[in-house]
Amino acid sequence: MAKGRELKGRIKSVENTRKITRTMEMVATSKMKRAQDRVVAARPYARALADVIASLYNPDLAERFPLLRQPAKEGRAAVILLTSNRGLAGAFNANLIKEARALIARLEAAGSEVELHVVGKKGNGYFKYVGRAVAVSRIDITDRPTAADAASLVDSLMARFIAGGVDAVYVVGSRFNSALSTPPTADRVLPVQPPTAKGGQKDYLLYPSAEAILTELLPSYVRNAVYRALVETVAAEQSARRTAMKNATDNAGEMLNLLRRTYNRARQAQITQEIAEIVGGASALQG
Amino acid sequence: MALLKVSVISPEATLFEGEAASVTAPAFDGEVGILPMHAPMVTTLGAGMLRIGGGAERFNVQGGFLQVVDNVVRVVTEQASRA
Repeated sequence: MAKGRELKGRIKSVENTRKITRTMEMVATSKMKRAQDRVVAARPYARALADVIASLYNPDLAERFPLLRQPAKEGRAAVILLTSNRGLAGAFNANLIKEARALIARLEAAGSEVELHVVGKKGNGYFKYVGRAVAVSRIDITDRPTAADAASLVDSLMARFIAGGVDAVYVVGSRFNSALSTPPTADRVLPVQPPTAKGGQKDYLLYPSAEAILTELLPSYVRNAVYRALVETVAAEQSARRTAMKNATDNAGEMLNLLRRTYNRARQAQITQEIAEIVGGASALQG
Repeated sequence: MALLKVSVISPEATLFEGEAASVTAPAFDGEVGILPMHAPMVTTLGAGMLRIGGGAERFNVQGGFLQVVDNVVRVVTEQASRA
């Protein structure tokens, strides 16, 4: 019964794979929930910042803030691409890389020089493979990014933007709309696009002055934009992994059904054949 | 008398949310005390101790800003920790 034994081996192997994918699915689900909590927890800060900036901002001030300067031409642009350190998340990293490549192509077509900052093993691996130079490559950002991580990514770029070394900074990451909708997006974080006030501007007492407050808040606003992108990308990664592992588990189940059916049919056929042989042998003896 | 709605917000989480009769915060040029019915105000913060409700809740903060509007006080800072 050579075929039967072979089938049995395959059934065992698929069962083991299914065990692994099912575990990974559950791990990703719980990690996603925690990442999602962090996305939600980060919102009040972003809202408060945007609120105050919107209520202080007016176009007359714009010219005095280097972070708000709008270069006529983006001569040199920086792209920060966020990817994951681990795979097995379906098309998650591929989609992000695709988004980044589209952005780079668009910028280069417009005559900009693009400098790449890549976070995550997967993105770095890809650009190494295609042989494109990466200015900054980071693989030390975990799946619990902190505000300090965001600062370390963007602070040097902010300084260079102020000095005129770069004219625009983009962040490519996944937006976390919900567990099922995590589209890759490219956002421009510099120059700062000031948020617009909802419900009119309040008449605040300002200490020391609108200018001094904005000087302090604008860098926070930029850092926060990057922090939000980091947190949302992690949540999106876990959600992508969960979906991928759920599909893998379902497929393994289907495959098992098929294999078991084939195995049982082979076993039955063999029994039938044995009976036929015995009956045949008996009737031959009876003459 | 009306109470202040106070929240202390850092990038990672909302550290405190609740009502209090007063807030004392380390503004950029010295401490500032907020009582209910304060005029709308935004001020940047220096380094020091933030006290809510006369010291019932204490936080070490550094930088960031404080916003008061309609009896809602928001302390928004990148560096805050319970003390």
